[in-house]
Amino acid sequence: MSEHNALSTNEVDLVAVSVAGAVAHPGFPGLPAEPYRMAADGTAFLLPTYGGIVYNVSVGDRAFGWAADCIHPGVSIRQADDNRNRGLNVFACVGNRARVMTGGAAGATGVVTGKSGRFSEQVIVHLPREVRTRMAVGDQVLVRAEGVGLTLTDHPAVSLKGISPGLLAALPAQEDEGHVAFGVTAQIPAHLVGAGLGLTSEGGSLHMQSTDRALLAELGLDRLRLGDVVALEDTDSRYNHGYLRGARAIGVVASTDGPRSGYGPGIAILMTAPGGELGSFESPDTNLAELLDVEQ
Amino acid sequence: MDEGLRFNFDDLVEMAVTGDVSQPAVRRGGYVHWPDGVGEILPGMYGITYSARVGDRAFGWAGDHVEPGVSIAHADERADYALHYLTCIGNEAEVVTGLARGARGVITGEHARLLVDFPREVLEEMTIGDTIQIRTRGRGPRLESHPGIEFKKTSPALARALGLRTEGGRVSCPVAMELPPRIMGSGAELNAEFVDQDLMSGDRVLMTELGIDQMRLGDLIGIRNVDHRFGRSYRTGWLAVCLCIHGDSVMTGHGPGILTLITGPAELLDFHLDPTANIAHSLGIRSQA
Repeated sequence: MSEHNALSTNEVDLVAVSVAGAVAHPGFPGLPAEPYRMAADGTAFLLPTYGGIVYNVSVGDRAFGWAADCIHPGVSIRQADDNRNRGLNVFACVGNRARVMTGGAAGATGVVTGKSGRFSEQVIVHLPREVRTRMAVGDQVLVRAEGVGLTLTDHPAVSLKGISPGLLAALPAQEDEGHVAFGVTAQIPAHLVGAGLGLTSEGGSLHMQSTDRALLAELGLDRLRLGDVVALEDTDSRYNHGYLRGARAIGVVASTDGPRSGYGPGIAILMTAPGGELGSFESPDTNLAELLDVEQ
Repeated sequence: MDEGLRFNFDDLVEMAVTGDVSQPAVRRGGYVHWPDGVGEILPGMYGITYSARVGDRAFGWAGDHVEPGVSIAHADERADYALHYLTCIGNEAEVVTGLARGARGVITGEHARLLVDFPREVLEEMTIGDTIQIRTRGRGPRLESHPGIEFKKTSPALARALGLRTEGGRVSCPVAMELPPRIMGSGAELNAEFVDQDLMSGDRVLMTELGIDQMRLGDLIGIRNVDHRFGRSYRTGWLAVCLCIHGDSVMTGHGPGILTLITGPAELLDFHLDPTANIAHSLGIRSQA
């Protein structure tokens, strides 16, 4: 992981702690006879969805066009107990090192690339494709959780959310008299922010909307890749996610698009500020795959 | 209602469901948080609300998600879903147990519980656990002349009371105010047949600028460029007519609850402003809304 900025932080004060989860099994809602979910146009669909070991979708790949509903790239982990799972989901930070502790790939290392929110609540881990072929559902993955409590010393109005110090240092950034801006591949307007609004901003994700395909194509948002760093305009994510003019949230595309209303790609929010203290600038190809130097 | 607008009301099936008056519950930790993180403990959801009634203001209460009237639920999850999915706004309710037995009320909203309005003197006779029975009618409505317009949770009584009119082939509904789609928040993760979507009131200056802070419980609300058929999302050229069912919230991404009643493409459906468009008045719940 290479450093792209020299922003001052309280990194030396952070406590690194272990959290772990087991590779999650994909699940389906409802009765065995009713496997369908519903698309934004009201049609029933049956497609792979979140959870499990995903062999052929990785961070860096396209976020749109898969025959899938909000797929997590790589491996998804969770704890069976909700309270423990919350500990995993909140304390694991994007950019944290993960290590497979049991099974055929024991010892292999990867990195946290995202999280998912209400109804799934999993942590998304990148592991090299070859490693994934040796893994099994239920294998334990340990995360060295480090990042909760992280602050930008010179920018106290910016709240950092679930970002590792290493990833923060690797982001393209510009600092100017009390104002800090980060490089992003896209800016998402407030009217295209969807599922996750009003829900917690400690862990989980905030989805963009993708029902209006023509508008997405017009804005170029349908070219987003998994792992892209993006900005959400007029979005205050300090305590829950919500609308506020002048606020901004920056996050990474953590899961793919899906057919459901309100559920375009899921975005794991990394930072936010309420009153213009946090900016963003165009920086094509700002993507976790390169920032974290992940091994495909 | 415009005489040319004909619904399939004769085909709708009328069924009874019940719910019990809920006891207020506080979530673990107790606090709700303002946008700057400050925590506060506030009443508002569940139970019998004596001081806030449909027709009253939606903003300014020392409460969070204030549910007007009586909030009822069913203890069995499946039966509770039937209570949610079958009950329509404007359906009649009757107290079937306790001191208020026989008293009549009207459904005014669907939040995590169903919200029922009763006259104030009836509230004095009610207690937590009293059973309310609802004659549900309104699932499956179709406007024969405009089948491309979808109605949700609209009882025949409400459909007649909305004041729908036709203008150039389009059906237009009076609304008390219009909301911009960019402030529609919590509830985006749910299907559009279930409960409401909060407007996001965190931009307090915007609430005043647009007059949104004048909203009343029971107001009809218009939103352009949204599709509320199967979820609630941004879509150019579609719109929705909704109902304000609960009060404001301090929490980011939350605010008054906006429940979908009608949605359709702009070629078929429209709304027009009428500051008096409130169900407390049009359903005859309160003479002076």
